[in-house]
Amino acid sequence: MIEIKKIIVNTKDNHKKIIDQLSLTIKDGEIHAIMGPNGTGKSTLSKVIMGHPKYELIDGDILFNQESIISLGVDERARKGIFLAMQDPTVVEGVSNSEFIKTATQEVTGNRINYFEFIKEIEDSVQKLNFPIDMIHRSLNKGFSGGEKKKNEILQIKMLKPSLIILDEIDSGLDVDSLKIVCNNIKEYLEENKYTSVLIITHYPRILEYLKPDYVHIMKDGTIQKTGDISLALETEKVGYHSINEVKESNTYE
Amino acid sequence: MNKIKIKDEITLSDNETKEIYLFTKEDTKRVFHLNENSHLVVYHYNIDKNIEIEINLDGKGAEVEYHFSTINYQNHSLIMQIYHNNKKTVSNVFNHGVNINNNRLSFQVVGNVLSKSSGCTCNQENQIINLESGKSTILPNLLIDNYDVSSSHSAYIGKFRDDILFYLMSRGLDRQKSNELLIKGLLLNGGDKEQKEVLMLQKEIENI
Repeated sequence: MIEIKKIIVNTKDNHKKIIDQLSLTIKDGEIHAIMGPNGTGKSTLSKVIMGHPKYELIDGDILFNQESIISLGVDERARKGIFLAMQDPTVVEGVSNSEFIKTATQEVTGNRINYFEFIKEIEDSVQKLNFPIDMIHRSLNKGFSGGEKKKNEILQIKMLKPSLIILDEIDSGLDVDSLKIVCNNIKEYLEENKYTSVLIITHYPRILEYLKPDYVHIMKDGTIQKTGDISLALETEKVGYHSINEVKESNTYE
Repeated sequence: MNKIKIKDEITLSDNETKEIYLFTKEDTKRVFHLNENSHLVVYHYNIDKNIEIEINLDGKGAEVEYHFSTINYQNHSLIMQIYHNNKKTVSNVFNHGVNINNNRLSFQVVGNVLSKSSGCTCNQENQIINLESGKSTILPNLLIDNYDVSSSHSAYIGKFRDDILFYLMSRGLDRQKSNELLIKGLLLNGGDKEQKEVLMLQKEIENI
């Protein structure tokens, strides 16, 4: 699915190194989670995979389905099947949620959509997300609560059907019930799309207990320092990231 | 602008409520007179023309909500004057423009509140998006001669924000499609999508 090969990433404006020789391979259908202290480059990694113009790749490569994507634009990566569910989804005033999703669906599939099927699908998804139906007619993310914004990201996943989903702190700001709804919808999507892979970026093990990742990575100083299973996330919550230094290089996953 | 002619004058009588759609096909001056407790909503669309608008809130309690949307290819301007000529009059104006090429689009918007006109509300919001390297100007003026007035003005000139473009493009929309969606959002927001004036501007946006 995706192979990140020893990437070094700087910010474009002040050339500050954020990611340092990071490697990560996610195979079809696998769920990976990355945890780590604030400011260690986790969200930057998600944006770099998506092709955010604020960052420059100094070295390394990113392969998606065996093809390098580093020269592709943001929209081209999205059309190949990569979806970044954002930590703080952007408000776009004047553009209705339904118009946006309809246009994006057409762009990603390359087909004109069947309106009847589109409306039925979006209404079903909205209902499963316990999302007020009027939200799809409002301006994109405008006036949405934190939880509603996150549910709207999941709604887009269900409509755009990506094959690699990156969840950048999708659990932040979600109450217990909303987190359960969001995770159940992701799980349902994964059951229907067996080859879809997921990269979860989080600070908290609770989302991992719902989504059950195959691998948990601890990221620090711009690179992955330790890899394990969900027990690593639970252990990290107990002892903190500080102790991770002690096991550096011992179990690097590539 | 010297050759501009008054296209027509619209007068609302006491307590009259009206919503109108306009599509400008030539350089035009439009004049509105609103009498007591009348309420006017205007959706005014324009492509590449010079426009003057004069709104006279003559009667007590008269209210206007004016949405002006323009697409600019060459050098054009909007001059809008709002006169609060009586007490408790209300104006809310929204002027939005997209400047396509490297030319100039100018907005001069003046809210005038006379000393006798207490209890008024006078708000204006102005935005121009330069798609290329056009030179645009906005003069958002409030000339208020009364202490009992609620008023605000805002002006934005620039491009669509990078974070918004990134968000749209991360869902598979290329830059052109993203711009199209954002321009529609900026210029057509609020208008009835079935109105022929809205459809005419929509068609123009899709051809940019």
